Amino acid sequence: MAKQATASGGANRMTAPAGVWVDRDKPVSFSFEGKRYKGLAGDSLASALAANDVWLLSRSFKYHRPRGVLTMAGQDANTLIQLPGEPNVPADRLAIREGLAAWGQNYKGSLEKDRNGFLNCFGAFMPVGFYYRSFNKPRFDRYWEPTIRRMAGLGKIDLGAGQGYFDKAYLFYDLVVIGGGAAGLSAAITAAKASAEVLLIEENPALGGALAYARFDAEGMAGERRRQELIAAAEAEPNLTVMTDALCNGWFADHYVPVIKGDRLYKVRAKQLILAQGSIEQPAQFRNNDLPGVMLGSAAQRLIRLYGVRPGKTAVVLAGNDHAYGVALDLNDAGADVSAIVELREDAGSGPLAAAAQDRGIAVMAGHCVQEAVPARGGKHLGAVRVSRIDGPGIFDPGSVGIDCDLLAMSVGYTPTYQLALQSGGKLSYDDRAAHFTIAQLPSGLQLAGSLNSTYDLSAAEAEGAHTAWRAATALGLEAGAEPAVPEDRGAAGVNHPWPIFQHRRGKDFVDFDEDLQVQDIQNAVAEGYNELELVKRFSTVGMGPSQGRHSALATARLVAKATGRTVAETGVTTARPPFSAETLGVLGGRIFEPERFTPMHHKHKASGAVMMTAGLWWRPAYYGGKAKREESIAAEVRNVRNNVGLIDVSTLGGLEVRGPDAAEFMNRLYTFTYKKQPVNRSRYLLMTNEQGVVIDDGVACRFDADHYYVTATTGGVDRVYRQMLWWNTQWCLDLDVANVTAAYAGVNIAGPKSRQVLERLESDVDFSAEAFPYMRLRSGYLAGIPARFLRVGFVGELGYEIHVPASYGESLWTLLLEAGKAEGIRPFGVEAQRVLRLEKGHIIIGQDTDGMTTPDEVGMAWAVSAKKPFFVGKRSIELRRRNPSKRQLVGFTLPLDGPLPLESNILLDDAGEMAGFVTSAARSEVCDAAIGLAYAPAATKPGEELTIKYSDGRLLQAAASAPHFYDPGNKRQEG
Amino acid sequence: MAAANPVRRSFALPKLEAAGARFEALGDFQIAVSYRNAADEMATAKRMGLADLSPLPRVGFKGAGTCNWLQSRRLKIPEAPNRAAPQTDGALALRLAREELLLLGGLAEGAPDPGDLCNRWQVARTKPRGYPLPRQETHAWFLVSGEAADSMLAKLCGVDLRPAKFANLTVAQTSLARVNGVICRQDLGATLVYHLLADSASACYLWDCLLDAMTEFQGGPVGLTAVRALPAT
Amino acid sequence: MKIMTCPLNGPRNISEFHCAGEAVLQPDPRDLSDADWADHLFLANNSLGVVREWWCHTPSSYWFIAERHTGSDEILKTYPANEFFRERVDFDAREEGA
Repeated sequence: MAKQATASGGANRMTAPAGVWVDRDKPVSFSFEGKRYKGLAGDSLASALAANDVWLLSRSFKYHRPRGVLTMAGQDANTLIQLPGEPNVPADRLAIREGLAAWGQNYKGSLEKDRNGFLNCFGAFMPVGFYYRSFNKPRFDRYWEPTIRRMAGLGKIDLGAGQGYFDKAYLFYDLVVIGGGAAGLSAAITAAKASAEVLLIEENPALGGALAYARFDAEGMAGERRRQELIAAAEAEPNLTVMTDALCNGWFADHYVPVIKGDRLYKVRAKQLILAQGSIEQPAQFRNNDLPGVMLGSAAQRLIRLYGVRPGKTAVVLAGNDHAYGVALDLNDAGADVSAIVELREDAGSGPLAAAAQDRGIAVMAGHCVQEAVPARGGKHLGAVRVSRIDGPGIFDPGSVGIDCDLLAMSVGYTPTYQLALQSGGKLSYDDRAAHFTIAQLPSGLQLAGSLNSTYDLSAAEAEGAHTAWRAATALGLEAGAEPAVPEDRGAAGVNHPWPIFQHRRGKDFVDFDEDLQVQDIQNAVAEGYNELELVKRFSTVGMGPSQGRHSALATARLVAKATGRTVAETGVTTARPPFSAETLGVLGGRIFEPERFTPMHHKHKASGAVMMTAGLWWRPAYYGGKAKREESIAAEVRNVRNNVGLIDVSTLGGLEVRGPDAAEFMNRLYTFTYKKQPVNRSRYLLMTNEQGVVIDDGVACRFDADHYYVTATTGGVDRVYRQMLWWNTQWCLDLDVANVTAAYAGVNIAGPKSRQVLERLESDVDFSAEAFPYMRLRSGYLAGIPARFLRVGFVGELGYEIHVPASYGESLWTLLLEAGKAEGIRPFGVEAQRVLRLEKGHIIIGQDTDGMTTPDEVGMAWAVSAKKPFFVGKRSIELRRRNPSKRQLVGFTLPLDGPLPLESNILLDDAGEMAGFVTSAARSEVCDAAIGLAYAPAATKPGEELTIKYSDGRLLQAAASAPHFYDPGNKRQEG
Repeated sequence: MAAANPVRRSFALPKLEAAGARFEALGDFQIAVSYRNAADEMATAKRMGLADLSPLPRVGFKGAGTCNWLQSRRLKIPEAPNRAAPQTDGALALRLAREELLLLGGLAEGAPDPGDLCNRWQVARTKPRGYPLPRQETHAWFLVSGEAADSMLAKLCGVDLRPAKFANLTVAQTSLARVNGVICRQDLGATLVYHLLADSASACYLWDCLLDAMTEFQGGPVGLTAVRALPAT
Repeated sequence: MKIMTCPLNGPRNISEFHCAGEAVLQPDPRDLSDADWADHLFLANNSLGVVREWWCHTPSSYWFIAERHTGSDEILKTYPANEFFRERVDFDAREEGA
């Protein structure tokens, strides 16, 4: 490996072949904090800055401490930076591009000179549990919240940022492997060879995992060689799809995994799932362990091997395992001066890497720890470490030696990347001997491979990958050959140091970098009585930051275990929930499907200036004319129906065909009224109750033949009614069929004294005269060549006809009727006018004038309930409730025409000022010369009685109770 | 008396007009026959096309006796639900349940109207013989063509429609962009083709969803002419 | 998202389905006392273990029965409703109060 740094792409840049991800032929310029730099294509922002010797990336959340590279894996909060329009972008994951302009965040002034940096000295005033306690006090909102928002915060949201395009797609695979390291690659290749369709998901821009950045042998090239072999083998498999830069952010039932790639969320369904996400290296705890220049050993190796960046000039390596010696060798190869390996164990490492390091003459201080990192001048980077002898677990000798260095690389242990495995139901336990977490009890079809399963040895990880793939392929029913061997020694021994925690009497020994929590804070939380891990988390906020405990969970578990006298296994970790890593709201919210339904006349309404409103998924005209003339338009539409003729689009009305020898019996069971003796070509009112006897739908039953009913249902209720009908008949096994034909029919209601005249202008085989076509009769025929069903009904209380035609003719029918009615002054009316018209007639609207308790008796519909039938849905409950009569009834009320108009849900008061009912509908009625409405009032209310309505502004309105039929109570107009 | 000259409209007509469709009469309907020059449109149809076939005839039958009666009318009934069977006259029979069929008229010019079966049904005496369903009106009929059609539909639909997993003449009743619908694969010539039948009132909404999903595949609307030319390619 | 295997349509995302609670043979309401009727209406068994449930595949409006373990949420089997509901149900006329 090359030893010299060159100036190509930054002062710390090494020569090729170091830096497998960067392209030295493609320089890229970018800026950070307003200053311009040059990096290389393939660089992350953090690596490009490191190459330019810029290490300060952010300020910590609470104390505004300087922070820099920690993991180089996009897993920590130290590297969160601000882009124009996007806060909290991990600088060690963000690929640089020409012209990129990034800024630090969470500071006052500049990143270098943060005027809130003084908070670092005031830690004692923000003790652990500060938020937990302050949130519970009334003063929080007024004082603390604005203060904290000013001081803390994670970047700035750009409210003017444009809207991106985000979408979603489904993918289906036999096997999904998450993690493209040695184990994952081996698993994917093996399964693909057994002809499984495999998807391999890798979070990073390139495959390889630790093969690309870790050191496996003294020579230092074994990982890279194997990486290239495995990638070539993967590329040769036609059944293997590789997705890089793709983040799997959760696990859901039956192996449904969301994968984010760019602006798209893939919803991936896997028959078999192998998790090979590796492990997360853990920091050690000592004073100032958060100083820029202190980083994980794997972070130093990532800088060297992935990006070709030398992470420091003079380095100290903190060793808790043999991996640390590989780090020392890599640093030495990169041209850094490795002053010492501070070995936490009593003896120096013994493997080939340790031997090679000692061969190179790197000093090993066995049985020592770093008790403090000392900042260089200016306080923003590591200047030296103070090394002391270890006297016992976590205890060090007060005496120390100082070693000058600008880099401290820590290799003391790992946690498995257990989040998805635990989300799937896996149980975490702790192996006290090996001092690491293990995962068991996984759901069927899900396996673990590689270091996620504590398999650290390279060949063992590959063998394990192959074995899990063999099991997956076998479960899929594929021919996968003989069962491959599982390695005995998985290389897990000695990887995790049991206690790399060295609490300092002056603190700043951070457990959680996101939340600035120190060893003492965790201990204090337990001392306060929060001795369960979930409680410690809530009290201290440990693990709640952007890195979600990835670097704090192990240390927290160890500290809580020690403080409570339990084992780490008993203490456990907090519940893992999706998402695994931060995801943007755009990805979650993008391309949400919101169906809209349009009637066949929709664009005619728009052309006529209709103001549209929604009714469920449908769009309906509320009224015609601009919003400015709302009241006038509605009043004119009402007037025109009463005096001339109006036309309303009722296509949204539900339509069901009930056909078969048992159709009448079925209608009798589903609805409250009687239908068996209903004559053919007559319609009859329909009222539906549920089993509790509550009114749930209404409509009209049109008997077109002895065994054929055409049933209307409410716009919002028809789908439910249809499903209920099928449900009941699945149990009853009656001989009939039900079909939902709602969308098949366009419908209009032509209403008003001149409606008959208009129809008679059009060619038809139907005689519309009063004698030939009386009220509540039906006809089938043609109107101007359009096949149609005609219903004489009276919802709005005038002579009127509902005409139902095939939807494709809907627009023609609408146009023809408006044309034909010109002389009569026909005009379309909307839902608002219809609501006034029906209210004048006292016709109820299900869902507006009824609620979840309404019985037919309460709304004056006792006449529509047959007592003679042996059964209908709701009968038993209606009878039962009649024995205990309701205390309320729906009554009409009137108020002066020009006074305040009560709103829906305004309450009625009794003499004692208690609630006695509520308003369900109200409107100003010209024809009644009053404001009219419907309200639930006490059962004994008589017409003429005074009702007190509490208006929205608190005023009390004195209304007169009345029968609910305000207009033409004798129905002479509609039946004429 | 006004003249009887009714016009029927496709449920997606405003969208077709906005896309610049050229129309021709088909019965009482106007059907979109093309949008661009023939060569371009043919290329689009093979790459990724969306055609509105709503004006073409179709009908359904459902309920006890359906299959027996239709068999007696010499229809070839698919052997199992959610399978489709092409008929000798070019029609396609989709079996949606044990006793439910959806008949799509043939695409070729002059193909017979399966809706004529309703007249036969009216006068038939066999009992039971199912009940006719107005599928011409309840459902809009779109056709999606092209080699990436399955990838495009994977953005709207949670059923695995990849050609290797969803055989030709297979039917799925599912949700498309949250609208209930029926999907049937019927390759035309060498081109992968899916028929989509969905709530007619949602036609305009679904048309927009499909075009949006097609953007990344350079897909676009195609007319009946291109669709009719597909089987020969 | 869970998968539900519909006897008509095969395995689908569970978002395509509607659950209507435990599947029981409906009593003739006239055979029950007021208290038993109220119990039938308002008190679900909600037992821990394998429960037979009503499910409807919404796009095809197909009702069927699923056996599900209410503890593990595992769906053990699904089958057409006519394997459970085979007989035509009739409500014969009776003298009121008989």
